[in-house]
Amino acid sequence: MAEIVAAMAMTHSPGLTGWFTRASPDYQQQALTALAEMRHRLEAARPDVVVMFSNDHLLNWPINNVPEYTVGIAETHDGPAEWFDEWLGMEQYRVPGHPALARFLVNEGGRRRLALAWMGDEMQFDDGISVPTHYLNPDARFRLVPVTMNCTVPPIPEPARAYEVGRTLREVIRAYPGAERVAVVATGGLSHEPGGPRYFWVDEEFDRGFLDLLKRGDHEALLRECTLERMEAAGSGGTAELLSWVLVLAMTRGPADVLAYMPAIAWRSGTGMVVWNDLAP
Amino acid sequence: MGNVERCDKTLPTNAMMYQVRKDAVLRARFQTDLEGLARQFGLSREEYEAIRDKDPRRMMDLGVHQYYVPQILRLFFGNAQNSNSSETLDCYKRAYPAETARAMDLQARLEGRRG
Repeated sequence: MAEIVAAMAMTHSPGLTGWFTRASPDYQQQALTALAEMRHRLEAARPDVVVMFSNDHLLNWPINNVPEYTVGIAETHDGPAEWFDEWLGMEQYRVPGHPALARFLVNEGGRRRLALAWMGDEMQFDDGISVPTHYLNPDARFRLVPVTMNCTVPPIPEPARAYEVGRTLREVIRAYPGAERVAVVATGGLSHEPGGPRYFWVDEEFDRGFLDLLKRGDHEALLRECTLERMEAAGSGGTAELLSWVLVLAMTRGPADVLAYMPAIAWRSGTGMVVWNDLAP
Repeated sequence: MGNVERCDKTLPTNAMMYQVRKDAVLRARFQTDLEGLARQFGLSREEYEAIRDKDPRRMMDLGVHQYYVPQILRLFFGNAQNSNSSETLDCYKRAYPAETARAMDLQARLEGRRG
């Protein structure tokens, strides 16, 4: 059976690659140090595959038909998508997929009453998958199974739902009939409001409160205090990307290490990097 | 209700932007024949004019999804090296002066604190 061997989370702000030097030298240094530490811990866990939980920014699905979750089942994943490469300031990359595990997630998820849509070669990647891949898996040594969620088109799921999905997917991954070592990585957040009236705003107080809850490792307290309403108040349509962090939280236990936090308006997002020390039994 | 929940999932602009982003020919037409493109996708006159005027407030009041607003502005101003930042900022300053001034003030304080 497969084993989950690492759990971590990071912001996927396009500024981290597209206009990195617009932030202060201090923020740049903090980010690079934290991302190098994340990569080091990821490599130390020796995963075969990274299951990356991000969100679809209306790229892969039109607004009239947005699934809650989508799994990328292709043999290889190529990015960034045309037009986004220039914006992200990134060269093209190619990462091997893990079709067998990806298909298992879709089918076994369905048997466990979890609807997972899927995409093959046509799946496209913007900042959500590309920025973390650039920093954590630049040499494509780990296979990738991308999983995107909807957190921007109403109805937006509540954190409790993301946590429940995380628990189900934890069991599904462990039920996979293979010896794969699996790292789970959440991407998105922290506070930001992409394109909204507060486009150039971040909510440092919310972000620090959220990260403190992760440091405490008290899942019930986090779900009680960090409601969708509070996420939306801290930045509509962007802060709820933290639902992917909540999903991965369900695969962990105990306190997380917060490697860095920067209220980086220049990157247009509260920016943070987190690694969990212990995985759910 | 958060701003993102104000979007109109049936608005023609939202359908148009999904297609335009993926298609170099349509992106070029956005720049050379926006009015014709708007007609092709069934946009109302108000939608077309809000886009033409690069007005985030009018776009979102009509139900344009907030994710598409900066992308519309990128189609006008360019895409690389965040070269659109000052022009986009100007659009938001005009559309949302109070919110944007507050954000700029916060950024100055944060960067000042970092010294």
